[in-house]
Amino acid sequence: MAKKAIEVSNLTFTYPDEEAPVLKDVNFSVNHGEILGIIGPTGAGKSTLAMCVNGLVPQVINGEMEGTVRVNGEDVSESNVAKMSEQVGFVFQEPENQLSQMTIEEEIAFGMGNLGVPRDEMLIRIKDALEQVGLVGFEKRSPLALSGGQQQRLAIASVLAMRPTIMIMDEPTSMLDPKGKNEVYDVLKNLKEYGMTGIIIDHEVERIAAYCDKVLVLSEGEIRMFAPSEEVFTNVEMLHDLTLHAPQVTEFLARYNQQFGQKLKLSTTVEESIEVFESAYK
Amino acid sequence: MNSLYMPKDSLIHSLDPRTKMIFVIFVVISSFILNDPALQLLLLVALFPLVLLAKVVKPYLVSIQFLLLFAVLIMTVHGIYNPIGVTPVFEIFGGLTFKYESMVYASVMSFRILVIGTAAVLFVMTTHPSDMASALVKWKVPHSFAFILLSTFQIIPIIAREAKIVMEAQQARCLDVKGSIIQRVKNLVPMFAPLFIITFMKVHQLSYVLECRAFSRKGTKTSLRETRIGSLDYSFLIGMLAILAFEIYVKLFAMGSLHLTTDALLTYSLIGTWIVFGFMIVKFLYKQLQGKIGGAN
Repeated sequence: MAKKAIEVSNLTFTYPDEEAPVLKDVNFSVNHGEILGIIGPTGAGKSTLAMCVNGLVPQVINGEMEGTVRVNGEDVSESNVAKMSEQVGFVFQEPENQLSQMTIEEEIAFGMGNLGVPRDEMLIRIKDALEQVGLVGFEKRSPLALSGGQQQRLAIASVLAMRPTIMIMDEPTSMLDPKGKNEVYDVLKNLKEYGMTGIIIDHEVERIAAYCDKVLVLSEGEIRMFAPSEEVFTNVEMLHDLTLHAPQVTEFLARYNQQFGQKLKLSTTVEESIEVFESAYK
Repeated sequence: MNSLYMPKDSLIHSLDPRTKMIFVIFVVISSFILNDPALQLLLLVALFPLVLLAKVVKPYLVSIQFLLLFAVLIMTVHGIYNPIGVTPVFEIFGGLTFKYESMVYASVMSFRILVIGTAAVLFVMTTHPSDMASALVKWKVPHSFAFILLSTFQIIPIIAREAKIVMEAQQARCLDVKGSIIQRVKNLVPMFAPLFIITFMKVHQLSYVLECRAFSRKGTKTSLRETRIGSLDYSFLIGMLAILAFEIYVKLFAMGSLHLTTDALLTYSLIGTWIVFGFMIVKFLYKQLQGKIGGAN
């Protein structure tokens, strides 16, 4: 596939009743199989940007949009959200709001049913999706009886079962405890192994640094940085300017460099940082 | 599970939801065709084997209690005060007389409630809500309508949970929930206004989610739950048709020669409902007493 998975060019979006655009001339692209992390302060337009990719903005959430969004080479504005959902899966922030059915298997089958997947195929896909998110054995339970992390994984499973090629997660872990966060990120790692393209919005810089290939930093509707995650998170001054922060180990090395006038290589992983720090003392 | 559905393995459960819906309609029609207390009592008794067959006797009796309450009230009040009554049947203390015509009227009405209630309870208890939704879709009911029906089961416990959160939050802001009745009624506003807003926001968000799950996509939709009309359903339907034909025959040709409704039947059914009602009250009082004693320990 020569085409990019997601290609956003000159995207500007303004909500109705608002003067200033929430997204200003945004340009980026994501290759197939890549995972993109979007970080930025609250109100930077992260969610709006994500919703532009599957067409929720501006087709369901109205506003004035300029520029083009292409998914697998197809112009999103010429399609509709329901049609896009075959290609783009979207996981929202609140786990509970995404559930509408009586049992877990029906919840997963719901999206597939809308796509007209035959019943035999459904059963196979339900099993697959539950295995991917680690919820096997819960088929007959009520979604409301699950914990937050499990509910969010269920929401992911029901999107996975629709077999999209691109997965967008909008702050999927913000309502969850650390264990729930790990559960969701483990699923994200699995997706990468399946060759899916992903976009994840989150405030967890440590986890973003560990799991994402590229990171996009958004502030007040503008792209401030768009580079491989290593490069973004080692640019600590820039992150501080935007009231963001790098992973703690990177912050530590940066502060050490600053205080003792050293030029240690900044790293985002704990193991590498230890190595760098130890070698400085040899 | 938030519905009354009782997952059991029975003949009635394995029937197609559409057959059961037709069954409910059939019972409603029958209860109007058989405009006679004796025949309706017969219908009520005839429905009981089905309840037995569906293995839901105990939950059925619990839910039918409330309908019985209506029956007792209607039979007593109408029996005494309905002006259509002329022939006195029997007198209780204080010169209150039960009259034949008004008792017939009251019995027909209350038995009708019981018969229709029984059929409805039977349907609800033996049909999984999702099955009902998918059966409705097969009847060309719009997909969104079936979804609305189904999502009520899901949204009620969520709203209940939110209501608790709102109440606790407002209590933390010094909302007096233990004041006088008037104060409590006033407090409904700070309770319900946020609850409504929260619910609307949740539903709004859900609409985005549904859109992302291709809900508005045109074309055929499939369902995980399979409902199929089998030989059992056909025999059931034919049975219903036969009974319906017989009822119409009875209604048209044999009504004049049938005199099943007697003073004794009316009196006994009235006293019967009283006795059952009395049992209910005794049981209720016993439970209250038990709760009091349990609380003291």
